[in-house]
Amino acid sequence: MSASGRTRSASAPLARRRFLAGAAAGAAVLTAGGCARGDSTSAQPGNTSISNDNATWDDGYRAAGRELEKITGYALRPLSNPSVTSYQQVVQMTLQTSKATDLVKWASGYQLKRLARAGGLTDLSDVWSTYQAKGWVRGTGRDAVSYRGKAYGIPLYESYYVLFYSKPVFRKLKLSAPRDWGELLHCAEVLKRNKITPFLASQTGGWPAIEWFQELVTKVDPHFYRKLVAGKASYTDDPARRAMDIWHDFMRRGWMTSPDFDQARGPGALKAGTVGMFLHGTWQAQGMTAAGMKPGVDYGAFILPTVRSTTPKSVIAESGVFTVPARAASHDAALANVGAWLAPPVQRVWSDFLQDSSANPTVRSNNPVVAGLQRDVTRERRLPLIRYWEASPPSLIQGNTNDLGGFMAGQTSPATTLRRMQERAQDEWAAWRRDEA
Amino acid sequence: MSTSTTDRPATGGRGTPPTGEKHRTPVRHGWPARHERLTAGGFLAPAVLLVSLLLLAPFVWTVHRSFFADTRTSPFSWFDNYTRFASDPALTRSIQNTLLWVAGTVVLPFVLGLAIACMTDATRFSRLARLCVVLPYALSGSAVAVVWNFMLTTDGAVNQVLTAVNLDSFAQGWLLTWPGNTVVMIIANAWQATGVAVILFLVGLQSIPPETLEAGSLDGAGAWQQFRHIILPQLRPVSIIVIGMSLVNGLKSFDLIWVLTQGGPGRATETLAVSMYNETFLELRPGAGAAIAVVLTVIVLAASWLYLRRQLDVKGG
Repeated sequence: MSASGRTRSASAPLARRRFLAGAAAGAAVLTAGGCARGDSTSAQPGNTSISNDNATWDDGYRAAGRELEKITGYALRPLSNPSVTSYQQVVQMTLQTSKATDLVKWASGYQLKRLARAGGLTDLSDVWSTYQAKGWVRGTGRDAVSYRGKAYGIPLYESYYVLFYSKPVFRKLKLSAPRDWGELLHCAEVLKRNKITPFLASQTGGWPAIEWFQELVTKVDPHFYRKLVAGKASYTDDPARRAMDIWHDFMRRGWMTSPDFDQARGPGALKAGTVGMFLHGTWQAQGMTAAGMKPGVDYGAFILPTVRSTTPKSVIAESGVFTVPARAASHDAALANVGAWLAPPVQRVWSDFLQDSSANPTVRSNNPVVAGLQRDVTRERRLPLIRYWEASPPSLIQGNTNDLGGFMAGQTSPATTLRRMQERAQDEWAAWRRDEA
Repeated sequence: MSTSTTDRPATGGRGTPPTGEKHRTPVRHGWPARHERLTAGGFLAPAVLLVSLLLLAPFVWTVHRSFFADTRTSPFSWFDNYTRFASDPALTRSIQNTLLWVAGTVVLPFVLGLAIACMTDATRFSRLARLCVVLPYALSGSAVAVVWNFMLTTDGAVNQVLTAVNLDSFAQGWLLTWPGNTVVMIIANAWQATGVAVILFLVGLQSIPPETLEAGSLDGAGAWQQFRHIILPQLRPVSIIVIGMSLVNGLKSFDLIWVLTQGGPGRATETLAVSMYNETFLELRPGAGAAIAVVLTVIVLAASWLYLRRQLDVKGG
């Protein structure tokens, strides 16, 4: 129908008004929706939500949750945010709100202390005491989850830092897992001679730069490492210098991969025989399986030998923790679940999923390589040491990790690197202690 | 409604009233004028509110935060967060890198964009060539970084090709040593950013009247003289836009660096934008991060204002 000019002029503003009214209504709906409370963290009957920064573990949480449900009546509902940085921001912000999840996966040590210091976490000391009485947790781990005498975390797992190696490659070159420092050097020399890079070392992603530093310092002197990370020894002291010199020597000999080698490619490189040994946490066993390698057949693992035979044996242990926000939507359910998390039936399922070591010492890993390492740790009475990443105030660790990354890329000498690390340690420890006071 | 946006008097209220409104006085007083101002204010309000809420308020808060320390109690610390620019070698390196990025992102896309636009403007396969150059512009910065990471790591494609053609001596850790790592990232960025410069220069080239070129040709001007004295001056408005955009892009470069090196190794490849993120979210020093954000904002605004004021004045004049 053709409309007259008058009709057109009358209908146009009407259409415009309708359009504007529609747009305004749409905007209002969107705004209202944005302001509304999301239901992702709200209480759900029979479930406890868990914040998690590793989406590949969701199935494991669900499987363990089914076992938990038999004991407590509550399953686990994982809510994953795979970006570690974004995850940390979200958790720290939501802890102060009513949108906190029931359980939060977090790191132990100073990362946890910092979170506990800000408030908003539930004191889990009673849960710890119950676990200790049952023998379901190692008492030595309590310090790593405590702040001002109260425990705020329950261990999620217990991983050890070890050197994975390719069994077929070692067999072909007539090598065996080294039992002392001399044998380790021999393995490296033989591998290098056969055009295989002996050790995987990386600073890609930042944090892997700590791995060889912590490992070498602890194998030079584990007691010194304890004092160093507690701010009671200097980075320029002899044991640290010795460790850095060894690392530097390994790099000069071409025994380390290039620092931009991505660790995610580690299992593949081990399988392909381009890298001989891969220093990483035992949680990497899952990655080895994903690369099609069978534990005990295609790969083995050993703890780095001490530099001197008289040095006490130690192992770097890493354990994530569960924390319970004070404002968790299902607080009682969350407490019930952390109270049953280390129960053997739950840990059996969880350990099988991770193929790693359970935090409950009565639960043996089904992965023969990890089970062998668990036996080694017990038999040799290895001193458990907290991982460097969690062992000192976070700002200090982050800065020192950057310095170690620069050292790996050849930007600074061992002496300069250690001097910078010590300067930062003085500043950051002073700041931490000032804050504590 | 008796008053609408279509029957407003001319700006300034002086001179001849608009056609068809001779019965109205040029300057109105009282209710209608106030009503009109209210209506105008009503239209402006959403935009002003949004900009104030989402841009100005956070900026004011950031400036405020930059004057407080990063300890637990966050006391007022005057300019302590700003003095770190003089004392922290990582921030000094960050400023150097930012300057390198600005120079690189201005020069490379401008020169390459102009050259490619001129060379593909009238050739037979110009459409295909243009598509090849412009295509990377459609990719996200992160995707570009992933592709270049595949090429630039020590055991990546570039070194493999060099080794395959017996040029092992040139193979190196492209992302490991400064300033080479920053330079290769600038090149990667230019690979992506040149596309938009090409598009803009092509638009500029197509708007040049052919008569001016014909006149030059009749006067005996060679190809270079035509380019230098006829084409280039007429591309000035487009050049202003290309350089202005590149300037700001260079100053705020982040995504490519973050995916390729995360500012490492050892903070060697950080720009101010990356340092800001690093200090705030990784080193947990929001005050220091805020100070970097303020400095970066001042630099971006000053550079853009100085450049555009000069260029647009000349153009307008």
